[in-house]
Amino acid sequence: MKIINCPVNGARPLQEFAYGGPFRDMPDPATASDAEWGDYVFNRDGAPGVKREWWYHLASGVWFVAERDTLRDRFLKTYLYDAGDQAND
Amino acid sequence: MTDVPARLPARSGEWIDRDRVVEFRFEGQVYRGYAGDTVTSALVAAGRRTLGRSFKYHRQRGVLSLANHDVNVMVDDGQRTNLRADVLPISAGLELQAVNTKGGLTGDRHRHINRMAKLLPVGFYYKTFHRPRRLFPFWERRIRALAGLGTIKRDAPRVETPKRYDFCDVLVIGAGPTGLSAALAAANNGAQVVIADENARAGGSLTHQWAGDAEAVEIRERLLSAVDAHENIDLRTGTTAAGYYADNWVALVDDIRLSKMRAGQVIVASGCFEQPAVFHGNDLPGVMLGSGAQRLLHRYAVRPFQRAVILAANSDAYRLALDLVAAGIEVATIADLRTEGETGPLAERVTAEGVVVRRGCGVYEAHADKNGELSGVVVAPVTAEGEFDLGRQESISCDGLLMSVGWTPAANLLYQAGTKMDYADAVQQFVPAELPDNVHAAGRVNGVHDLRQQLADGERAGLAASLALGLYSGEVPEQPRHEGGSPNHPYPIFDHPKGKNFVDFDEDLQLKDLLNACQEGFDNIELMKRYSTVGMGPSQGKHSNMNAVRILARHRGQSIMATGTTTARPYFHPVPLKLLAGRSFNPERRTSLHEWHRAADARFVHVGDWLRPEVYGAADTNRPLNELVLKEVTAVRRAVGLIDVGTLGKLDIRGPDAAEFLERIYTGRFSNVKHGRMTLALRCDESGVVTDDGIAARFAGDHFYVTASTTRSGAVLQDMQHWLMRWGLDATVVNATGHFAAMNLAGPYSRHVLAELTSADISDDSLPFGGVATATVAGVPARLMRVGFVGELGFEIHVPAQFGPAVWERVMAAGKQFDICPFGVEAQRILRLEKGIPIVGQDSDGLTNPFEMDMGWALAMSKPFFIGQRSLQILQRRGAERVLAGFSLPRDGNAAQVRESHLVIRDGEIVGRVTSVAYSPTLDRIIGLAYVAPAQNLPESTVKIRADGGVLRSATVERLPFYDPDDLAQAGVASLQEVS
Amino acid sequence: MPLGLLRFAMSKKHPEPRMFREPDALKAAYDVVIIGAGGHGLACAYYLARDYGITNVAVLEQGYIGGGNTGRNTTIVRSNYLTPEGVRFYDESVRLYKDLSEDFDLNLFYSERGHFTFAHTDSALSTMRWRAEVNKHMGIESEVVDRDTIQQACPELDLDCGGHLPVMGALYHAPGAVARHDAVAWGYGRGADQRGVEIHQKTRVTDIRVEGGKVVGVETDKGFVRTGKVVSAVAGFTPRITEMVGLRTPITIQPLQACVTEPLKPWLDTILVSATLHVYVSQSSRGELVMGSALDPYELHSTRSTLDFTESLSGHLLDMFPFLSEIKVNRQWAGMADMTPDFAPVMGRTPIDGFYLDSGWGTWGFKATPVCGKTMSYTVANDREHELIEPFGLSRFENYRLVGEKGAASVGH
Repeated sequence: MKIINCPVNGARPLQEFAYGGPFRDMPDPATASDAEWGDYVFNRDGAPGVKREWWYHLASGVWFVAERDTLRDRFLKTYLYDAGDQAND
Repeated sequence: MTDVPARLPARSGEWIDRDRVVEFRFEGQVYRGYAGDTVTSALVAAGRRTLGRSFKYHRQRGVLSLANHDVNVMVDDGQRTNLRADVLPISAGLELQAVNTKGGLTGDRHRHINRMAKLLPVGFYYKTFHRPRRLFPFWERRIRALAGLGTIKRDAPRVETPKRYDFCDVLVIGAGPTGLSAALAAANNGAQVVIADENARAGGSLTHQWAGDAEAVEIRERLLSAVDAHENIDLRTGTTAAGYYADNWVALVDDIRLSKMRAGQVIVASGCFEQPAVFHGNDLPGVMLGSGAQRLLHRYAVRPFQRAVILAANSDAYRLALDLVAAGIEVATIADLRTEGETGPLAERVTAEGVVVRRGCGVYEAHADKNGELSGVVVAPVTAEGEFDLGRQESISCDGLLMSVGWTPAANLLYQAGTKMDYADAVQQFVPAELPDNVHAAGRVNGVHDLRQQLADGERAGLAASLALGLYSGEVPEQPRHEGGSPNHPYPIFDHPKGKNFVDFDEDLQLKDLLNACQEGFDNIELMKRYSTVGMGPSQGKHSNMNAVRILARHRGQSIMATGTTTARPYFHPVPLKLLAGRSFNPERRTSLHEWHRAADARFVHVGDWLRPEVYGAADTNRPLNELVLKEVTAVRRAVGLIDVGTLGKLDIRGPDAAEFLERIYTGRFSNVKHGRMTLALRCDESGVVTDDGIAARFAGDHFYVTASTTRSGAVLQDMQHWLMRWGLDATVVNATGHFAAMNLAGPYSRHVLAELTSADISDDSLPFGGVATATVAGVPARLMRVGFVGELGFEIHVPAQFGPAVWERVMAAGKQFDICPFGVEAQRILRLEKGIPIVGQDSDGLTNPFEMDMGWALAMSKPFFIGQRSLQILQRRGAERVLAGFSLPRDGNAAQVRESHLVIRDGEIVGRVTSVAYSPTLDRIIGLAYVAPAQNLPESTVKIRADGGVLRSATVERLPFYDPDDLAQAGVASLQEVS
Repeated sequence: MPLGLLRFAMSKKHPEPRMFREPDALKAAYDVVIIGAGGHGLACAYYLARDYGITNVAVLEQGYIGGGNTGRNTTIVRSNYLTPEGVRFYDESVRLYKDLSEDFDLNLFYSERGHFTFAHTDSALSTMRWRAEVNKHMGIESEVVDRDTIQQACPELDLDCGGHLPVMGALYHAPGAVARHDAVAWGYGRGADQRGVEIHQKTRVTDIRVEGGKVVGVETDKGFVRTGKVVSAVAGFTPRITEMVGLRTPITIQPLQACVTEPLKPWLDTILVSATLHVYVSQSSRGELVMGSALDPYELHSTRSTLDFTESLSGHLLDMFPFLSEIKVNRQWAGMADMTPDFAPVMGRTPIDGFYLDSGWGTWGFKATPVCGKTMSYTVANDREHELIEPFGLSRFENYRLVGEKGAASVGH
């Protein structure tokens, strides 16, 4: 079982976590066209690579961002999200 | 036991306890062995040579490896099956039968299949039986009847076993010379080391291959006592490393449990599998691997034959010859495939013992006696290309033929870990070329075959692991280089006009089967495996994969490297389901009122992990459930009822931005909800699909208390936490689900009942429909909410969980004068259906949007943002293509019944389905909810529903709610008489 | 024994030719290039050649024939889906499957064993009824059966599942079948090859050249080939291919694992599925129990195995069959499932002229193999969607017209 390094709780086994999907920037609903919005809702960058993802530590309720190589299943980096840093979120 | 001719005198290092004689039965016959014997060693000691039958041709088979690979000798003990006799310890009273025979091992009535082998070439089953099609089931039954090995025992018990989570700095796989040396090196640097070895005792090749060598025995004893004395080393014998998983998570399997080992470093020192040569008759009982014979000799003091021929291609064969001679076995000859043969002291010693060595010779064929067991071999000179000079053949009688032609690495776990392996010509085997982080390989699996070099390589790996752990900072020596000839013959495979030269004993595959597979186009290693099934048997190709690769490489004129290997997958050895399953663990959540429900004879239903009362008085299922449910419904409508709603998700949301947060999460408006009021909380996902609903009660400007449905509350919480963080709003969400007991007191007399338990003003003025308040109820601080889910005057009472039972009992006592009735989820379903309230998940599916549920009214489309809003704008413009409507049918016991999921049919097409339906005792008709075409949603019109038996019934569309359309009852303004 | 086997005994040399040739090199140009020599790609090639006479076709395969999900699935074939479009589509597949052994003159061991999907809760039973009603409406043999019927079909089953989650009933689908999965690919491959299609194994597509919104050729590790039509039939590799043409899709990849026990004498005649217990199991003609479970919970482009998978599957299997405690799991493996948001495939033309998708197969690809070949070949030959796949177009997502299979699909393999 994989080990994930939770930024708050440290290294814990995978079963303590839930995958929260890819990290995606939401387009502005007020200005996005229907097609742009539909693309945001349904389409994904499905090809393998190092991706930013949401992960959740179930026991403590911590959400964090992980950079993971989805080809080799390697967690390269995990960190807490800072809303202040995200201008356009 | 002196009457057993095959048992040798006691020898040092033997694994048997001669003081304890053990009696068991095999195929109905009594045998005696010693404690420590395996079934195979005891049977061979008793003079048996045929021990099992093969999978396909039912050929007689005997010992091959004695190393847990002898899958042609599997037995059944009445409780368990497919037990490998070569490693199964004998115990008193065991009664064993060989698997896969019809009528016993000796007289197996399926043995005639062997004579039909010519009719059954590789993949024969793809080529026939399918024409004409109608006959295939007939053939299939016959083929299926022949398939399989052991037989299941239907009355065998469920066995629950423990599991262990384990941790260590260094896990060493294999307790041979390399592994022991590696473990000591790491432990001496302070690492906590676990050694896992599948054998009953540690020592690896030092307990068989080298056990006749005095110096090696001394090394063994030195290593074992050092390991034994070392406090940092935990040596686990009888423990198989069954699989390697991500981040050094290794499945260790012993007889009683699965241990899940998280190792800082893994050192694979798993050694090699000795490989058979492929020649005519190489499967006869009496033909075995040299190391198999050495295991019998040294571990069990069993002499398996009197006169032996050794087919050799390495030095190991010569040590074997000396062992045999020392055990009093006549070695008729060594046929050495190498033209130059063996040189050096070993060869001299063998010659000195009078053993005749035939250089550049091979075994052309092996012969059987009338019992089908080995009686002799034909030896002839053979070229490097495998051509026999039959003009110079010699027949040699023998009852033992030992194959000592080479090894292949036991690299299964290395492959699973993602090791890149290269073929090394110097040793004619695959060796690790690129290891994953924190994984090491040492010894023969690493291509190091010399005993002293193995010790050095083990030490190297132990130091490298220590270095990686930060426990060692010195030099890590280079890996020793192999010197001399290859221990592995590059192509020990020989054609024969009569075939029966087996490449895969598990699957009964002969050389020609693989060549024919190539001829048919299955000439890459994966296709060859899939078409011929080579390597797919229970031993997973431990004796066949390498030879198959060699055959394919030669056939294609390619290198071994270019030919490649198949993928090694878990498990190393098959693992019993019981060990993987462990103990069953089915968590169940109970509310604090559970005991009360149980005492009231509730019948429980699983709702997610929770148990909820479905109906009371019905644990005895002989009582008519429906009547009980209707009684509960009627009680709520006419008087008062009480239901445990404690399983609802309860989330406390506090902070200055609490209202803003809910505005974005839910579809409705929250900023304008007054303190002491509540509102519907409907959630959608980003695509506009309804995902959940509940209520949001505002207890203060910065405090909302929100409910979520029982099964989705975890997901709701998770999602809320996510968006709180994303939006950076100043609010917190706390999961209060388990903190509160919750009950809904509903019915025309509910206020009367509650009034007896609280001094708070619960009049309609103070606490109107949709109002919320904090109050003391039965002496306990409570949150009160005027709800209307069941369509009556009703109060949800939430109290700290520990007070739940006391408050519940007080409510029941206060309600006694009104004949208060506890009710379960079944009654609640009918009550809410009468009120026309849809349940998300029952009356919607994974793609339903609010417009389809006729809940457009709950969407504040004009607010700046909520999750799903943008998609709902798109869906709103398009308009709903189906809509949830109420319908009714007269109660008619003779008519075809309409059930949930029956289809609404319009012009022969499916337009929707019934999502809820029940008999309403209040309205005395069948009512339900169903998806219909929007044009059909006209009260008084009819829709067709395909009922039981395919009968089309006409249902009348009704306006919702069915019951109390003016909401007088839940508003509490209807007089008691009117409603009852 | 059938007499046909005699020829093997009579002839000195093995009397069988190659099933597929080994073409020397890629030609400069093909009418159609199909990426992926799994069941789907080869079926498309087969029907293009057989039904439309389009034989100047190359099937490019980075590994070997049938080496992807074709060879990794648990071989179940059925048509008891939830939506009319799904049922119509899979029913045609079942119909084709039944004739396939004879069409190919290759025994696929297509074996109708009956397929039970258990309901352990009222709501699951309701979903089963929904499927049964839709199925019956579409003329498919499918019905909700009670505990007694299940027990009769499988006397070995503990209907109470150890008392934890008793089976309340099941959806029964008599035509539910298993087949030799590899042989399906081989049969299509041989048939396509005999008709002139070139199958290039160990040939990796590295890029797809698009000019002016139109496909003009394919780059491979063995050189460039010109073609105006490219069919992607690569299941778990779909996002890598669509990225080459700059096409965005909802497809994500998650591993699906499976395992087998050691061979046992036949005892389990039916195919059993429990979505609640996350188990599906049948017994192969070799005697192995073939078992699978739910998808792994996160995106991953790898066929690694996990221990958690066999641990939880074993527990649930023993809930159903406690007497199997001592039976051993021999091997586990995984495939990469190309998942869509509505659990229905993505098929047909795309905004790139000449680029066709046969994708989004999730965990249902094997059972759709023949009908995919039929409908994709039609679509490529006519440059117009076959009517059976019209509901499965990529544009359904941006149009918010998803297919409703998700309702019934948690584990329904």
